[in-house]
Amino acid sequence: MLKPNAKLLPTASQTIGPFFPQTFFREGDNDLTRVSAEAAPSRRGERILLRGVVRREGGVPCVNAILEAWQADASGRFRHPKDPETALADPDFLGWGRARTDAGGAYEFHTLLPGGFTDATGARAPHVELAVMASGLMRTLFTTVFFPDFPGPNAADPVLAAVPEARRALLVAQPDGEAAGCRAFRFDLQLRGGAETPFFVE
Amino acid sequence: MQVEKTPMDSLPDRFDPWPPGAQPVVPTPGYPGTFTHSPAEAPIRRPVGRGQLTGPLDLDRKLPCGEMNLAMAEPGRPAIGQLIHIAGRILDEDGRPVRGAIVELWQANAAGRYFHPNDAMRDAPLDPNFIGNGRVRTDEEGGFGFFTVKPGAYPVPTKDVWWRPPHVHFSVIGPSSLSRLVTQMFFPGDPLNPFDHIFMAVPDEAARARLLATALPPAEVGAGWLGFRHDIVLRGRAATPPC
Repeated sequence: MLKPNAKLLPTASQTIGPFFPQTFFREGDNDLTRVSAEAAPSRRGERILLRGVVRREGGVPCVNAILEAWQADASGRFRHPKDPETALADPDFLGWGRARTDAGGAYEFHTLLPGGFTDATGARAPHVELAVMASGLMRTLFTTVFFPDFPGPNAADPVLAAVPEARRALLVAQPDGEAAGCRAFRFDLQLRGGAETPFFVE
Repeated sequence: MQVEKTPMDSLPDRFDPWPPGAQPVVPTPGYPGTFTHSPAEAPIRRPVGRGQLTGPLDLDRKLPCGEMNLAMAEPGRPAIGQLIHIAGRILDEDGRPVRGAIVELWQANAAGRYFHPNDAMRDAPLDPNFIGNGRVRTDEEGGFGFFTVKPGAYPVPTKDVWWRPPHVHFSVIGPSSLSRLVTQMFFPGDPLNPFDHIFMAVPDEAARARLLATALPPAEVGAGWLGFRHDIVLRGRAATPPC
């Protein structure tokens, strides 16, 4: 039996490989605004599209990569007890979604523009957390997407400040026109080489 | 809502660095894809904030759960292969059960072929009665279980000869963004294990041992199937470890 206060060794990451089941995906998995495929989407905030292309070394598109997004609602609250204001969080906004890249390496998420909040690390600019898994990646990669709407909060964000100044712009999504009646933002990921996306310690 | 089901005191609020040797070496010797995908820059240390401590707790509506019998998708149509049961618990680094975690499993069939359009490079047969994936939610003790068939080994199409040993993929969505885990389970004593670049990418022997299932004594399991136990430890601890 395990001792109650024994520190257990965490299970190692391994690659998701090329065969993550396509049957695990349902319509709307990439829609953070719905708690289920059948649920009505939340409308408490500005609907946006977050999209981009995942590329590996040499700019080659990464096919069948898996991306998971997690973010606060439009008021900056999470549906989770570790948010002291979770009782006020938008009940119709899930804040989580999963997408896979197509043959061109492209992904997209439907969501609401997140709100900022203040936590133990400081005043956080509005952002989306991204986890990236793919064949050829033995460890999950974690990065954060910021938005060009908030130059002031971005400049004060403690996580963006941890990124070398020359690479900070790589974490800010770019305006990408309109799609389906809402603003679109582009966030391309370069896994290795070139303008490599900054990733954070797991 | 499921959020209330997870008591506050069981959610992690601390993430210690990975112990040395517990994560795979990247890029991974012998695995060419890692040399084109793994970031060349060192990962950036950031302050761990609310976005890392929180994560989706109530995904069972978004990701419907319940497919736990992969070996008999429909009555009277058993999959071909050695029937096995894999049971285990999802724990955090303090050994506390992770309740309500989403556990996704996928694997090759007994011939080493995946039910996936990308696995079409050789002529190992598909089994019309085996899709080989399932998703469950852990119970109050962090427990999960799947009936399935033992997966076959298969060769990886690389320049050097490399066979993947029988293995089962697991994806676990736990209580925090940082506890997200994608891993693989291996079978104890398989002669291909020490030649597998993916299994051997983990330098620490104790950490590799954590990737191995434990074969249960047949007398404990009964004659219906072979039993394996496999506990998975997610990252995350209490601020003050329980004692």
